[in-house]
Amino acid sequence: MSYNQQGRGGSYRKRYNRDRDDYDDRRPIETPDDKLKANIIKYGEVDPVEELERLEEQIRNHMPRNIPNLAEALLVSVTEQPYKIPFYAALIRLLHNPSDISTSEEQTLGRLILEEFWRGFQAYLDKVAWRETRLCVQFFAHLTVAKVISVDSMITMLRSFTAVLDEFGVSHGRAKKAALCAGDGLIIAGPSIHAHAPNVAQEIIEAIQNYTDTTTHQKWLVSPLSPICNKESPTENHVELLDALLNALTTLRDTSFEDSAICVPQPYNVYPTLDSSATRPYDLPLVLVPPEAVEMDSDSDEDVQVKKEEWPEYFIRLFPNDVSPDYTTPAGYVIRAGLLDTVDIFEVNRKDCARLLLEYPKWCLPGTFKPKPGAPTTSEPVPGKDWQLESTVIETVLGTYFLLPEAPRKSIYYVTLITELCKLSPSTVGPAVGKSIRKIYNSLSDGMDVEVARRFAEWFAVHMSNFGFAWVWKEWIPDLSLTVQHPRRAFMRRAIEFEVRLAYHDRILKTLPETMQVPDAYVIAETAPSPAYEYEDPATPHHDAAQAVLNLLRGRARVEDVITHLEALKGTLETNDEANVDSLVRSVVVHSLLHIGSRSFSHFLNAIERYLQLLKNLSNGSISNTTNGANVDARADILSNAAAFWKHNRQMVGIVFDKFMQYQIVDPTDVVGWTFTNGISGVERGGPMSLSAFEWDLLRAALDKANGRVTIAKKKVIALKKEDDDMRARVKAKEENMEVDVEAKVESEAPSDNVQLSTATKALSSLTKEQKAVFARTLDGFTSTLIPTALSTHANPGAQTIVTQEGWANRANWGGEEWNAWETWAWYRQFCRAYSPYLRTYTHTLQAVSLSKLEGNTDVASEAFKMIWNITTGQEA
Amino acid sequence: MAHVVSPLDQPSNYKDSQARVDRQKQNELLARSTTLYIGNLSFYTTEEQIYEVFAKCACPEDGGGIKRIIMGLDRNTRTPCGFCFVEFYTHAEALACLRYVSGSKLDERIIRCDLDLGYKEGRQFGRGKSGGQVRDEHRQDYDPGRGGWGAQAQRLEIERRREVEERYADAQDGPGAVAGGGGDWKQQESAPAEKSLKRGRSPEDEGDGRDGDGREVCILQNPTLSLLTIKLQGLRQRMDDDIETDRM
Repeated sequence: MSYNQQGRGGSYRKRYNRDRDDYDDRRPIETPDDKLKANIIKYGEVDPVEELERLEEQIRNHMPRNIPNLAEALLVSVTEQPYKIPFYAALIRLLHNPSDISTSEEQTLGRLILEEFWRGFQAYLDKVAWRETRLCVQFFAHLTVAKVISVDSMITMLRSFTAVLDEFGVSHGRAKKAALCAGDGLIIAGPSIHAHAPNVAQEIIEAIQNYTDTTTHQKWLVSPLSPICNKESPTENHVELLDALLNALTTLRDTSFEDSAICVPQPYNVYPTLDSSATRPYDLPLVLVPPEAVEMDSDSDEDVQVKKEEWPEYFIRLFPNDVSPDYTTPAGYVIRAGLLDTVDIFEVNRKDCARLLLEYPKWCLPGTFKPKPGAPTTSEPVPGKDWQLESTVIETVLGTYFLLPEAPRKSIYYVTLITELCKLSPSTVGPAVGKSIRKIYNSLSDGMDVEVARRFAEWFAVHMSNFGFAWVWKEWIPDLSLTVQHPRRAFMRRAIEFEVRLAYHDRILKTLPETMQVPDAYVIAETAPSPAYEYEDPATPHHDAAQAVLNLLRGRARVEDVITHLEALKGTLETNDEANVDSLVRSVVVHSLLHIGSRSFSHFLNAIERYLQLLKNLSNGSISNTTNGANVDARADILSNAAAFWKHNRQMVGIVFDKFMQYQIVDPTDVVGWTFTNGISGVERGGPMSLSAFEWDLLRAALDKANGRVTIAKKKVIALKKEDDDMRARVKAKEENMEVDVEAKVESEAPSDNVQLSTATKALSSLTKEQKAVFARTLDGFTSTLIPTALSTHANPGAQTIVTQEGWANRANWGGEEWNAWETWAWYRQFCRAYSPYLRTYTHTLQAVSLSKLEGNTDVASEAFKMIWNITTGQEA
Repeated sequence: MAHVVSPLDQPSNYKDSQARVDRQKQNELLARSTTLYIGNLSFYTTEEQIYEVFAKCACPEDGGGIKRIIMGLDRNTRTPCGFCFVEFYTHAEALACLRYVSGSKLDERIIRCDLDLGYKEGRQFGRGKSGGQVRDEHRQDYDPGRGGWGAQAQRLEIERRREVEERYADAQDGPGAVAGGGGDWKQQESAPAEKSLKRGRSPEDEGDGRDGDGREVCILQNPTLSLLTIKLQGLRQRMDDDIETDRM
């Protein structure tokens, strides 16, 4: 089925709608002002240069003049279509020409619009809307070069952004965005600024440099290629955003900004210089970036989520500099920044975003990108440029997708954005995607971060599911000689597992070459991911007992009857001197219940809901008793049995654990505890404990569940508090002008609401406690896995060696245990950086509970463990 | 951000022509909706495949996640007939699906997502005359893709089909036939409050069975159908048909 077939039977609907009266979604009538606004926003669809003067004329001739409307149109245009900013600057420059009808004293139209525009900018700044603010700064910088804005006032504006970098304890997010405002402004306005005040550029560069010098540790923590063994981040194959900016700025400064014109379009430069005696350049008013406190002051119920920590941004490079531009060069930086903004802004419509990305060259200087194959060459390729558009776009989108600890938008956005790009131009985007996949795959053996590897597998599977699962697996056959736990083999297995989830086993099996189909290749599971009912075989011990329970459940017996039956079963087993009867009963129940629920997710939900009371009793270590407290062993049992039932289907393990938490059969802490005692294989094989991406997914689900509950509870408390406050205010208002008898009635309303509020507050405090516990349990799990004591039964022998420089250098000889240990280390790092806002909140408790046992340890592993912790919690600058 | 392009998460041209609630109320419901109608599914697509794709739009850290999936079944044969409902815990997650998933492929078919007013009892069954979806009855073209992935794998297809055909043979209707998926966290008291809520259905469901499609069930169960009710039923069926058509 191709993407072009969109079968729809629309005619029926149309006919029907005509005689219905609900035809009320007519568009509002478009006024001439609206029309002009739309024309400004849509400007440049065909030919930006040609259309410019036509648009100028349209604006001039439009009467009556509506300056706020024009400014609004421009604000939208500049902040939502950054690639057009140079041309909008040219438009404003044109509108600064005196018109025929104006006298010399009158302000030009351009000036009037600019003044109004500035008010909009001020509003963005007041709201600390960084992206909009930065794009306006770009606009102002262009106007500075066009001599519409005075250089001095532009310098002052840039300084107000670099001032942020000097703030005491400035957060990285704030500093980064302020630096980008100053840096973008300098890249564009550099020529004018340099000519006017030669040392300003250096001053701005130094301010940014001084700031980034303080972020070395953070950079190490989020670089996708930093080894665990030392604090140096490698410089190849990826580039940090502020480093790229600094490098671009330094390069420009070294050539006195002469190269600006070959990096930044300056369409306004063809116009004669404004007569500064007739029109004095506009002085941007002084601005002050609102202090950080204001950013966090938004106390509305929308903002109860913990504020995400911002980190340095490392973009992975996938292509050589002659294929896609080097981020660290001025031209490369400008192109990347434009693409990044486009990807971010058009997140609301990935289809349009894909189209705009592929139309991007239209807004670049001629010769920047190779022309489309078959298209007439309209301009000579520029030496050192002539890049490939599709590779550049894919590299930029994937670079954002792979940002650590997490991408700025939901991962799936980048995945389906790439799908749309491929759909628009399969013959040019397809090869870029293929090359990217090979490049990332190859880098997996060189320490590519595990979280990047996980997202890589996720993207790969979803992408392939949109394109017929057509991947040439054959080329990776040689890698089957690597150890099973090697990151490349782990990737193959994971990608195939995800593909099977999206399709089905046989479908994916057929896409593999024969050498990969066989079970001992460990690429694809031998059979479809079916359930493993432990009591299937009549020869299994307790088969009959289990069968009886299963039959009850199948017949939808009442929960009370099942409980009675189980109590009787327990009695029988006990008289037969069975060991661990409680555990056996739990196994029978969980297996039987999951068996009747194994047909589909819905069947599973129905099974849980029907026998929820029984499951809850079991989780308290009982069968019929409802009042026991939580029983940790019973819960671990329940989870173990569920994991055993779905041992061939890890997707279902995740789903079952999630719903067990949702229905409060187990708590997130139980899931974390279970994961750390049953991690890959570990105990089952009797091998050392470690975590793979699957265990990480379970941990993450548990942590997110605990955090999500706190979020919901907080929202509830805030809403009830507000209600309560409002009511008190009403009561008070009434009291002041009301007779006594009515007052009594109102009084009686108040306490009932307070009960609600106090219940909600109590819930919040329980959930916060659970949240703290789940983090403590996780940190504890990592400590005991990575820093095993002499007494640990499942200590990984690689735990110490792999964190050393020599150990890492020897990775070609690593076996499974070393790679497992390495992966566990990497998940610890991901845990820290991804949950740092929570870890910071609970730093002292967690440190006291989990890290105290490392006190006095001076071995490499303990040192590395503490270092990661300290960077995360801001205790190591 | 709606000046330059139109966001994909705007409610589509879907209209409920039954108009049991007025347009304004419908819009209000859609603006809070956590439920999606998913159309153009292969008849063989499983709930787990659906879960795998839609889980990518879930935000568990905001208290979200997939609450439940309700597979659309042929009224007569109790086999999947190409649509389903996916219910999340939060509205934002439903919107994310419109932005990121709608229009991409699931099980090698381009699926379509629409915000839905919310699942009501009985809606898991097709409303077409044959028992399937109405829109499929309007189809002129034969749609071989519906069965999965082409003739070359027919033997596998037959196996897959048999599994699917048997899967929902036990599907029931009436109140409580469809699981709720689990509600908000509640303080565990020593006295079990759950016992009274035997089925733990989500609170939204409680009122649902009473109006809308619930009435339909009553009519069907009435042994003495007067001509009038048959007529009414026919009319309602036509209206239902229009909803289905409007979706596509």
